[in-house]
Amino acid sequence: MDKLLSSADNQTAHSPAPIVLSKTDQTDILRVLVLLAMRLMQHGAESKLVEQTTTRMGIALGLDSVEVALTGNAVIITSLYKGRCKTTTRRVYDRGINMHVVCEIQRLILKAEQQPLSHQNVSQLLEAIEPQKYNRWLVILMVGMACASFSHLLGGDWQVFLMTMLSSSVAMAFRQEMAKRHHSVLLTFSLTAFLATLIASLAVRYHIGNEPHLVMAASVLLLVPGFPLINAVSDFVKGHIGIGMSRWFMATLLSFCVAMGIALALMVTGIEGWL
Amino acid sequence: MELLITLLDDAFFSAIAAVGFSLIFNVPQRLLFLCAIGGALAHSFRTLLLLSGTTIVPASFLAAALVGLIGVYWSRKYLVPRPVFTVASIIPMIPGTYAFQAMISLFSIYQLGYSPELMASLLENGLTMLFILMAISFGLALPSVVIYRFKPIV
Repeated sequence: MDKLLSSADNQTAHSPAPIVLSKTDQTDILRVLVLLAMRLMQHGAESKLVEQTTTRMGIALGLDSVEVALTGNAVIITSLYKGRCKTTTRRVYDRGINMHVVCEIQRLILKAEQQPLSHQNVSQLLEAIEPQKYNRWLVILMVGMACASFSHLLGGDWQVFLMTMLSSSVAMAFRQEMAKRHHSVLLTFSLTAFLATLIASLAVRYHIGNEPHLVMAASVLLLVPGFPLINAVSDFVKGHIGIGMSRWFMATLLSFCVAMGIALALMVTGIEGWL
Repeated sequence: MELLITLLDDAFFSAIAAVGFSLIFNVPQRLLFLCAIGGALAHSFRTLLLLSGTTIVPASFLAAALVGLIGVYWSRKYLVPRPVFTVASIIPMIPGTYAFQAMISLFSIYQLGYSPELMASLLENGLTMLFILMAISFGLALPSVVIYRFKPIV
């Protein structure tokens, strides 16, 4: 009887044998799911993706349904199986945006849907995913190039390009050093903006290039919290108002810190007007 | 001809900007070229729209919607979630300068006292940033809001 029911309830059409889950199995699967949701949240996935992926994984592993609640810094997951509910909560710490992890988790869920995997298997595969990082010098070079490209798009000449590249590369190196020492993100952003504007103000002072003020504007663009802002609005649009608000507020706070850093540097150098 | 050169220049430099930011987001190496193409397409399309007389908010919306729609195709082809490359692609269009200018005006109002110019700068820059950002994110989310409402794209 039990077996018949579970095969009817089981929504993954591919899995051949009907799965019967014991109470401990259900708890173990829930642990896998909460780890999955937590890792997605830590590395900057939007709420709908976290909700969808976790639910799909739960169903692929044989649960009847999965309910996910997300808040600004925690995930709450309930698993349902034959009228039994189990719920667990985990605190989420921000580990920095890492799309590599998000991609790998997406591959894992597709794999689990195509062929039946045991939850031990999924758990092992999930823990094997390491957040991959690019070589720091490559990042410094490319971010410098990116900000310099912004200065070109805003209408600067090659001298402005070079000055922007210099100041934003130094700023990126400083930001990486701060991040390595696990300083507060707010502090990191304002100090980095201060440093970048200080170097960029040399261009204004010695009249380098056609529009020296562009150097100051472009060299802090590496600090625009683009990902949190886009995630916030995507969450709003898809109905996750609460978590969207917390992302939005964090991004606003970060921009404010950057503005404070810029304002402080303008005060120190005595330059009037930012743009 | 001159238009073509402007657009190519625009596309080239926004591709560099998009790749630079995708390194900060740790996009896997095999997908970096998608960020570059997406960034180049989005920003040069917006520039084309701006040159043909569209205002910046609808232009940003259309450019982001273009990336969002191409993203559906790419995400099925490479089996990755869309934000992995769409967000890096639209980064060159993010109104960062407006945001910082608004915040600096806010700070100046506190420091120098109220003046209509500073208040105007705060409101104008803040609102421009807000509307562009809303337009970009809504444009990106368009496929999943309108077409894929109940089922995942990958």
